[in-house]
Formats: sequence, C-alpha cells, structure tokens
Amino acid sequence: MPDNQPGTLWTRNPALAWREIEGRTMIISPTDSVLHELNDTGSFIWKLLDGVHSAEAIAARLVQEYEVDPEVARADTNALVGMLAAQKLLLRAAEPAPGATRP
Amino acid sequence: MSTAPAMTAAVRATPLMDGLIARTVAHGLPLSVHFDLTYRCNERCVHCYLDHEDYGELSTAEVERVLEELAAAGTLFLTLSGGEIFLRHDLERILATARRLHFDVSLKTNALLLTQQRAARLRELGVRRVQISIYSDEPAVHDAITKVPGSLERSLAAIPLLRAAGIQVKLACPLMKQNLTAYRGVMALAEKHGAGYILDLTITPMIDGSTGPVQHRVDAGALLPVLQDPALHSCGRMAPGETDRELSPGLSAMGSSVSSGIESDAYEDLPCSAGHNTCYISPYGEVTACVQLPLSAGNVRQESFQSIWHGGAGLERVRAVRESQLPLCAKCGIRRFCERCPGLAWMEGGDLLGAYERACELAEQKARLAGMRDAESAWHAAQRNAEKCIEASGSEPDSEFVGNSRRG
Repeated sequence: MPDNQPGTLWTRNPALAWREIEGRTMIISPTDSVLHELNDTGSFIWKLLDGVHSAEAIAARLVQEYEVDPEVARADTNALVGMLAAQKLLLRAAEPAPGATRP
Repeated sequence: MSTAPAMTAAVRATPLMDGLIARTVAHGLPLSVHFDLTYRCNERCVHCYLDHEDYGELSTAEVERVLEELAAAGTLFLTLSGGEIFLRHDLERILATARRLHFDVSLKTNALLLTQQRAARLRELGVRRVQISIYSDEPAVHDAITKVPGSLERSLAAIPLLRAAGIQVKLACPLMKQNLTAYRGVMALAEKHGAGYILDLTITPMIDGSTGPVQHRVDAGALLPVLQDPALHSCGRMAPGETDRELSPGLSAMGSSVSSGIESDAYEDLPCSAGHNTCYISPYGEVTACVQLPLSAGNVRQESFQSIWHGGAGLERVRAVRESQLPLCAKCGIRRFCERCPGLAWMEGGDLLGAYERACELAEQKARLAGMRDAESAWHAAQRNAEKCIEASGSEPDSEFVGNSRRG
C-alpha cells in the first residue's frame, strides 16, 4: 500500500499521457496501456497533484470549489490519492517543494 | 454533494474508449491526430503512395506550435509518421514537446535507423507504441518491396530493442501481389516477438491521385484463399490491455495500416472517425480528415489548427456524410460485408458518397464466402442495368444509377 500519510506530497507520474476532455480526465499509462477516467471532481484533484499541494490542501480547495462537507472532501481526496498512487499514476514528490502548501 | 466516486473506472477494454469516442464525436473534438513529419524515406517501397521529395517541411518551431494547438484542442492520441520518421533530425525534441504536452504517442517507421540507444530514448520520451512495416518473413520478398537490400534483417532487429525498452510493437503488413502469401510468416514473427500485427489489403493510389501503386494490388478473386483463412479471424492481434478498439483481441486481423483512426461501434451512422474526432496533418501543414482523404481543410502555416478544425470546408464535406444516406451503398444488399472507405471512394471514384469497385468486389467475395452464392453489390447491379439500358435504347443511362463520376 502506498504511504499516504497526512502531509505527503504526490505528483502526477510524468510518464503518463493524459488530457482533460469535456470535464473528464483521461489517463493512459504507457507501461500497461490501461485507460483511466476521472470525473469532474477527480479532474479537479488531479490537476492539483503537482508535488506542491498536499491532500489536505487539495481537500480544502475542493470544499471551496464544490461546497462539500470538509470531512467528505478529505475522505474522497484521500481515497482517490490512494487509488492513483497504488496504480503508480502518482509518485511521491521527492522533497517538499519550496512553498509547499501545508495544512 | 459528495465528490465520490472521483475515479469512475480503470479498465482495459473498450467500453471506456467507446464512451470517449462518443463524447468526442458529439462535441467535435480531435481526439486522435496522425501527423506526418516528413515524406522523405530511406526505402522505396513499390506500393508507396507518397512523393519522397522535400517541398518544405514544417520547421521544428512550427511543429511545436501545432502540438501546442492540438493539446489545447483536446487531442490525446498522437501518431507521428512519415515517410521515415527517423529522418527528422529534430524528432527527439518534438517527442520531448509531445511528452511535455501529455500526448499518448505512437510512431510508424521502417525501423532501419533504430538502435538500442534510440529505443531507450523513445521510452524515456514516453512513446507507447511503434508500428513497423514488415512485408514478409523472407528477406528476398521484403527487400524486393522496399528496394533496400538487408532491410528485413534491420527492421526485425529493432523489434527486440523496442520490446526490451518496454515499448509495444505492432507489425504492419500491406498485402499485394508480391507478398500475398507472406502474412502467415508475418503473423509468426509477431507471435515470436510478442508483437501485435495488422494485415492490410488496401493499396491506395498516390496521394496526388496518380494510380501507379494500384498495379501491385491483388485482384479480389485471388484474395479468396486469404479471406478464407481461419487464422485471420480467430487470432488475438495484440496483447490484452490495449486501449484501441482496432487492437482488441478477437477482431479480424485485417485493417488499415495507414489510417490512425480508432475503430468503434460508437460511430454508428458515420462512415468512420475521419473528420469527426480524428484528422491528418501533412509535413507541409495541410490538414485533411484522413491521410487517405486528401481534401484540404486548411494549412496550419496560414491559420491555427482550431480554426481549421472548426471551420475548414474540407472537413465539413466529410462530416456531412452519413452511411444511411449514401445514394447507392445504403441500398446495397451486401452492405454488411463491405468496408467502404470514404477516402478511397473519393480517391478511386471521385465521389465521397459513391461506391468504388474495389470495395464492391471485396464485399462480393466475402458475401459469397458467407454463403450468398449470387452476391452482387448495388454498384455492379446498377452497372449491369445501365449496360442493358444502353443496349436497349442506345442512350446514356441516368448517372445516378451508375453511382460515380470519375475525378479528373
């Protein structure tokens, strides 16, 4: 299982092909040619997985954008990050980038 | 409002692709683009449809600008081809740009210039798949088609290099008079190397409309042993996990080695993907619906890709075609056996909406194989009726029933 501890910074795997198309993000891993799809909120989270924003910070942005309950936003963000990391669509950022957003 | 499930699926098969295709067609987005970066080539294949002179290819900066525009327009699948793609000395830089823009990149090549170092670099640059043209497992046959001695050996040597680098390989084998019986050998090569393959009966006229390559095409009647071969209809052409419907296991091994469109049932009444969610860009910047449909919609040197995609008259003509409205083909009794290509209808018959002899002949052969002993295409029936009409009255028949008006 990926180590998805609070404060862990994740970044999109640079080997991936991906495009946001009509609000959904399509992701292809060149290693196994599997096509993944994220819905609009998944796409919102995906774009913030840049090695700068922590899961907590992303959840906070989700609350602002979609007016969801903070607990729900946190749970969904963590669940998605865990799934994406397990499939190696996300990589742990080597070091916290300067100016990294912390909860 | 809950955000879950944020990730809707992670699937290997086609339903997700079909959904993506349906959305991009509905919204008119160029999901897949075939971009030839050069027509120059280090082989001289007898059936090739290209003029290999360089008449002023897009510069590196121009290509990079087009890639930026394609990414902004929503293109995900990018096929870079030629000519021989490795003759572009800026290929690595272009691939790096494609990588930065998150395209899913495939290359088409003869692989003569591929080295271990290059294969590793392709992997680093995110190339997912490479299609290599292989005409036979026999050097004498393959090399006679490419006119380059030793070319089969060199092309085959590239396959394990690419596979070792983690890149998918697909062998493309157009079948013509010179290599009609070679497909079994090519299939065996693909199996040996863990590669996919595609066999293609389509030998097209030159891109300028001249018909030289067509002389190498096998007569439809002579294709019967190939069409009857059960090996072509029971095999898996590609490893599981491919995102493309055209590569799904269990489908026929036959297809187009030239087109990079995505095959899917999601196109419904559309002839194919061309112009709807795929298009072609030439090394000189011309945008057309497909490499096999040279009706220019505009040039990226004169206007943006987005402007051409949304306003090019050449694309609008193609987009207006519906299978159910084809004047002759929609009424054809053996339509389900036909793989009519709108590009070839234009190239060979001069009519986007018309029938063309090659498709009709192949459909008749397939229908007979399926048990329809007197199978006849609507086009051939119309021709026969027209001949009777001339015999009876001595006058010209109504052109609607003949179907095509020849170009040029």
